[in-house]
Amino acid sequence: MALVRIDGEDLVVVMEGLDKLWAFKSSVTIPLANVRGATADPGIAADPKGIRAPGAHVPGVITAGTFHQDGEKIFWDVRDASKAVVIELADERYSRMVVQVDDPRATVALVENALR
Amino acid sequence: MGRQRAFDEDEVVRAAVELFGGRAFDGVSVDDLVTHLGVHRNSLYKTFGSKRGLYLVALRRHLADDVGPLAEALAGAADAAEALRLVTSADLGLLVLAAVDRAPADEEVAAEVAAAFAVVDQAIADALGVPAELAAALTAAALGVRLRGNPDGVGAALARRLDPLD
Repeated sequence: MALVRIDGEDLVVVMEGLDKLWAFKSSVTIPLANVRGATADPGIAADPKGIRAPGAHVPGVITAGTFHQDGEKIFWDVRDASKAVVIELADERYSRMVVQVDDPRATVALVENALR
Repeated sequence: MGRQRAFDEDEVVRAAVELFGGRAFDGVSVDDLVTHLGVHRNSLYKTFGSKRGLYLVALRRHLADDVGPLAEALAGAADAAEALRLVTSADLGLLVLAAVDRAPADEEVAAEVAAAFAVVDQAIADALGVPAELAAALTAAALGVRLRGNPDGVGAALARRLDPLD
């Protein structure tokens, strides 16, 4: 599970509990200027994820860490696909982050409102 | 470097207009978009940023492709009845749905919708030589007729009443 918050001009994604171990990250801070949008997307978990390095991937159980696909680097931290949110980035180490949050609708609104 | 985009953005946006014009925003999932638009999920995010990003592009396309021509046609309307017919028969699915579904929750959508209605109102006002408020009332009446599905030819009945406006 991840906590997403806006801190001034930044978007901060904090991994909670053991997820920080699987994901090899405890938090990621991105300037809002490099955030392109957020979308609740339960279906993304069923898509091919590419090659994992580093991280953990037990299909159907946990997808966490950095995945390489089509030349893009994608950060994953998802256990429950129904709560997956995709945060699209520009000019960042990751092309996008796919994280599990408590309330996808509220998280999407938080991010999209911060971008307007 | 990502994989080259292998889709026609123009076609994808047009298909999104159809999809969002027929269902509420929350009723269209990214899976629906991927299936109906024929775009890879990652390409969709890469190109439009988010589902909302695609929605805004689709709404603006709808306003340019469908509402713009309506305003042009309205500018040549001979009378109130013709203006009413033009509005009730135009393809305004996404505009109408955006007005009731997204505009209350999204100020950027609300601004696009308000601007589009203002253009329609102005075209009617100019064509019929009536005050802006009356043109806005005519637009509202036409949208109401659309909403009710024109039962018992209510549009035609209203048009007969409106003819003396000219």
